[in-house]
Parts: sequence; structure tokens; C-alpha cells
Amino acid sequence: MPAALEVRDLSFRYDGGRATLSGVSFTVQPGECVGLLGPNGAGKSTLLLHLNGILPERLPARSEPAVLVDGLPLAPANLPAVRQRVGLMFQQSDDQLFCPTVWEDVAFGPRQLGLRGDALGQRVRACLERVNLDGFEHRRPHQLSQGEKRRVCLAGVLACEPGVLVLDEPTSDLDPRGRREFKLLLRGIPATRIIATHDLELVVELCPRSLLLDGGELVADGPTVELLSDEALMLAHGLEKPHILQHRHPHAA
Amino acid sequence: MHIPDGFLDLKTSVAADVLSAGALALALRDARRTLSPRRVPLLGLAAAFVFAGQMLNFPVAGGTSGHLVGSVLTAALLGPGAAVIALTAVLVVQCFVFADGGVLALGANVFNMGVVGALVGYALYRTVHRQLGGGLRGAVAAAAFASWVSTVLAAVCCAGMLAVSGTVPWQVAFPAMAGVHMLIGVGEALITALVLVSVGQAHPELLHAPARTGEERTGYRTLMGYGLIAAAGLALFLSPFASKSPDGLDRVAETRGFATSAQHFWAVHTPFAEYVMPGVRSASLATALAGLFGTVVVFFLARWASRLLLPTE
Amino acid sequence: MHAGLLESYQPRRSPVHRLATQTKLVAALALIFCVVSIPKGWDRMGWTVFDGTALLLVMTAARSRLSAAFLLRRLLLLEPFVLGVAALSFWQPHGWTVFWHAVARSTLCLATLVLLAATTPFSEIVRVLRTWRVPALLLTTLTLMDRYLFVLIEETGRMQRARASRTFVVRSRWAVWRTLAETLGELFVRSTERAGRIYAAMCARGWETSEPPVG
Repeated sequence: MPAALEVRDLSFRYDGGRATLSGVSFTVQPGECVGLLGPNGAGKSTLLLHLNGILPERLPARSEPAVLVDGLPLAPANLPAVRQRVGLMFQQSDDQLFCPTVWEDVAFGPRQLGLRGDALGQRVRACLERVNLDGFEHRRPHQLSQGEKRRVCLAGVLACEPGVLVLDEPTSDLDPRGRREFKLLLRGIPATRIIATHDLELVVELCPRSLLLDGGELVADGPTVELLSDEALMLAHGLEKPHILQHRHPHAA
Repeated sequence: MHIPDGFLDLKTSVAADVLSAGALALALRDARRTLSPRRVPLLGLAAAFVFAGQMLNFPVAGGTSGHLVGSVLTAALLGPGAAVIALTAVLVVQCFVFADGGVLALGANVFNMGVVGALVGYALYRTVHRQLGGGLRGAVAAAAFASWVSTVLAAVCCAGMLAVSGTVPWQVAFPAMAGVHMLIGVGEALITALVLVSVGQAHPELLHAPARTGEERTGYRTLMGYGLIAAAGLALFLSPFASKSPDGLDRVAETRGFATSAQHFWAVHTPFAEYVMPGVRSASLATALAGLFGTVVVFFLARWASRLLLPTE
Repeated sequence: MHAGLLESYQPRRSPVHRLATQTKLVAALALIFCVVSIPKGWDRMGWTVFDGTALLLVMTAARSRLSAAFLLRRLLLLEPFVLGVAALSFWQPHGWTVFWHAVARSTLCLATLVLLAATTPFSEIVRVLRTWRVPALLLTTLTLMDRYLFVLIEETGRMQRARASRTFVVRSRWAVWRTLAETLGELFVRSTERAGRIYAAMCARGWETSEPPVG
């Protein structure tokens, strides 16, 4: 069985900028839930954009593919298949909800996959139910609370039935209740999950394993509790040991 | 300058609708060929930007305020075709959501703001920019000048439409519209220049430059098409007043049997009609002279202002 | 554009709201077409049509469950401009006739549009336009504009508040203009960045770049 996601020696720089990613490699097995940590500007979002081929816009013709999804190399010919397998949820929910109504937004992905009519309606309804937003079909995005926007975003991604779910700062603008609800939702999703976040408690609760990115390089890859308990490592990379781990021994988990 | 329905008669509205539909079709075809997919969402966002920008009030004097129209600004930032699409979207939303500007008069508004404002304005902008030797300072001066000229020209065109429709006589509409917009145009030019300075200094890559992004270069034939539509519109709406020849649209209507029994009611109050208020005729002449004089003055003002705004380049 | 004009659609449970958008749109267009095509000389007939249209509009408004105050306020917001331009028509023979004719025509058309906008969400109008084969790129532009209009207006407000909260002296008009223009410039830059993020979000959900995505 191929790895759900494999990244091999991925490097990238924006036009004229310094390297945003250099030599990043890691593998994620099916069903894993992995946290992606790192200070601001570490390259987390850039890395996530690579995972379904949004960056670089024109994929370089290199012999070795840098990203493989389900063993499928990321190449222009595979883009549609890869984008269906990898569901990407962005940091700004306002930019992800670009349709006039909730229904249309959730239907956007499945429609690109060719779903129409009843099948489409059922898919949308099922996804809205899954994020506890049934009855929100005709609401307009600007009438929603932050938490509701986030959940619509999630429904829109789930509607494409991705095998790998990639989330960029999913809880950054939520209040504690919104965060708790969203955490429960994420826990219930069977897909492989990669969560980039500064919310370390979320990572501790959801992700057994974490990656630490800084300056475009992968500095650590290991069990979350071990990583986060290493105070020297945390401080060196602009993070800190979360409170829930303050009184826990690194190997107790 | 959003013309509501009811000020223009049917022939004028329909003629403007046809011309604007033509320009829009050309712009859409051009965009489909040359616009990179990455920029497709930008059209909608730019339209929302123009709308939001039009709501920002610039204080003028004595409690009055003005706002941006944004035709030349949009064209300078996005290119001519994309500007026509974005401005059309703005007008459609303003019409259907806010009842600002008419439905049948939509074509007339798109013609004034999109075809005259953005396309003619852009042609002027490019030409002057090249003459001034390029650069951001040249772009700012050219955009300010083009904004003023296209604002006044659009207003004159609007006056022509009102006169061809027989709503307002040309001798009144022309001095009133042109006169007011020679002042409004100064504000438009200044805002356009200031915004370009602010965008151009921080993000020079965002200014539309066809030479740099070869993929978005508008085709020669599309440019010809734009030119023809603009010329046809200006001829239809303005030429009746520039010469003594009968109104072109009425002639079309006559030959097509378009206006039969009600024909004489459709007739335009021609510029040399008998009942003219004393002094009104000379007002037209004075306005035209002021316009010519203003064009020269604004050109030098624009160059001077661009040096002031960008002292080093 | 007046800020008071925002929020034009008024959701209600009324027969007018329930009417198919296509029907409403066609009816509104037909009504406006009729009113505009009445030539000035048709005194008797013309005024009969005007009266009929007005009656029709009042009846529709009454059934729409919208408050008369709301409709009148929206109408009056746009009326000064109508009267202003119409006033120019005095300077000609039969000025009064032309004036009243223009005011009647445009007020009726305006009322039709106000009523249409108050009972029909814009996204529904776009949906009808799609069935009328309006080019997809224009529909996408309209849909995105409709979606992000308020987001951008709010963003402008936030930017202005941020500036105002750190402005402590009365500034010259020139300085006010410069800062307003800078706000606009910044708004454009942010709009392009946002457009880039929307593009990424569209791609991430399987948008093939061959056809314009929404609308």
C-alpha cells in the first residue's frame, strides 16, 4: 500500500525571493493525523499549497517528482486526480467561500467532479449535516459567524471526498466554543489529516505525530508530545511548551 | 453620471445597448484568449474594488464631496478589455441591486464609462505614456490627463445622448454637462494619479504593462474593433450637433420604417432649432473653447503634478 | 453611491417574493421597455399608460409586504438626480411637457427596479442570466463581485478606522486626499492578493481552468 502522501526533497522559492522551502522530505501513512508546526513565515502555508499542486503554477519538469499522493506523482496530467484526493482548507475562510450561498459553495467541488442533480443535492446535504449545519443551505456567507464559516469551508472540502485533508490554521479565529466544536468534527473524520497550526493544544489532542518547519527546512519530525516537551527545541523555533504538557513527562504519553 | 431609464428614448437606448454589447463581446473574447486563469477571479474583485472605491467620499469644499469613477484607473491597472468587463459588472450590480442607473440605459452607461471612459481613456493613457518616455512618473501624468479628458468626453457623450433623445436640448445639455465635468474631471484625475502613485510605488508589478506580460497583449483586431465601436458611438451621439446634417439615428429609423406614425415625435430638437434661449448658443461655443483650453492646461498640470508627487525617479 | 442604499434585498414571505425570478425579471424589463418607448407626443395615451403602470406597481408593492416607507425612501434617494437632470429640459419649447414626461418615465422605471431589487436576490438574477446564455466569464465576475462587495466595503471601513484612530491633528484637505488615495491603493493591492487566494481555493476544489468557475 503506497503512502498517503510522500514529499521528497521539496524546494521552492517565490519569484525573486529567498528560498521558502528547501529540501523538505517526509511521508504520511493512510489514516495518520499529523501536526505541522512552525513560527510565522516558516513556509507552512507554502508547503500546504504544494500538496495539491497549486504552487508552483507551472510544475517544473524534473525527473524526480517532489510530491506523491497515494503513489501518484504530482504532474500536470495528474492534477485533477491529485486535487480530488487532497482536500485543502485555507487560512482565510472568506476567501474560500467564494460562492453567493452556502449550498452553492459546498456544491462547487462535487460539481467540478461531474456530480449533478439529485446526487449533487444529496452530497451537499450529507456534508452540511456532517458539520452540523443542516438548514444553512440558503444562507449567504457574510451572514455567518466565524465558526459557521469554518464549518462550511470544511463541508466544501469534505464534499470532494478527499483521502487526505490538509488544513491551514483551522482554529485561528474561533472562540473557545467554536474551537471545541471544530476539534470534535476533525476528530470524527477518518481521512488522513495534516493540520498546520499555532494551536498547540489542538495538536496535542488530535495529532500523535508532528512536523516542525522553520526557515523552510524541516527541523523535526516525531511524536507530538516528545517534540512539544523539548523546551529548548520549542524556544529555538519561536514556539513554547503548551500548558497541558507542563506537568507531563515526555515519555508518559 | 449614471443615466436612469426614462431620460433616453428607445432608439438611443437600443443603439447604445448594441454598441456596448459589441464592445463587451470583444472584451470577453479577448479575455478568454489572453487572460491567464490566475487573473479570472481578479475581474470580480476589481469590480468590487471599483464599487467600494466609488463609495469613498473625497471632501471638496463647503461640505460637498466627490468620488472616483475609476474608468482610466481600472484600465491602467487591469488593461482595457478587463476594465470594460469589470466596469460593466459594476454597472449591472448598481442597476439591479441599487437601482442606480437604468436597465435599458445600461448600454448607454457602459458606453460612457466603459467604452469612452476606459477604452478611449486607455488609448490616450498609452499614447501619452509613451510620449512622456514611460516610467511611473509618465504613467501618473498620462493617467491623470487621460482621466480628465475621458471624464469630459464621457459627459459630452452623455449630453449628446440626452439631446438625441430630445430630453434636454443640446445647447443646454452640452455646456451644463461639459462644464460640470471639467471640474469633476480634475478631481477624478487627481484621485487616479494619487492611487497610481500609491500602487505603483509599493507594487509596480501590479500596473498593467502589455509589453512585459506578452500573454495578455490585446490583439490588433480587437483594438480595431474597440476603435470602431467608440467612433460609431461618438458619431451617432455627437455628430448631429457638430454639423447641420440630420440625426443619424433618426435617419436609420426613417429608412427602416422603424418610426412610422409617431415619427415626428421622435424628431430631435436639432441644435439650430428656432426657439433658443438668448445667449445659450454662445454658451456652447464658450464651453467648447474652455474644453480645448482646459485640455492643454490639464496636460501641463498633470506633468507638473506627477513631478511633484514623484520627485525622484 | 450612497451608503444608505446598501442592503436592498428584503426577504419576506410574499407572493411577489415567491414569483419565479425569470418572470419578475421579464416583467420588469417589459414594463420598463413599455414606459421608455412612449413618445413624448402621445399625451392622452401616454399618460394612460403611465397611470396604468403606476397602479400596477403600487398593487405589486402592496402585495410584496414591504413597508411603504422603505420603498419610498429608496425611491427618494435617487429622485434628486432625476429631478436635477430633468430640470435641464425646461430650456426648450414645451419645456414643462418634456420635464413631466421625463420625470414620469424615469420615476416609473426607477420604482420598477427598486421593487425588483427589494424582492429578488441578485444571485437569483445571475442564475436567470445564466439560462439566457450570458457569457460565463461575465457571470463569474458578477457573482464574485456580489460576494465580495460587502467584504471590501467593510475592509475599507476598517482601514479608515485604523487611520482615524491614530490621527490626532486636523489635517489639510490635501493630506486627507492623499490618505484616502492611499487607502484606495491599499484596497486594490489587497484585492489582488485576495483574488490570488480565491484562485487557489478554486483550484484546490478541482476547478479546471478551461471554463469560468462560478455563476
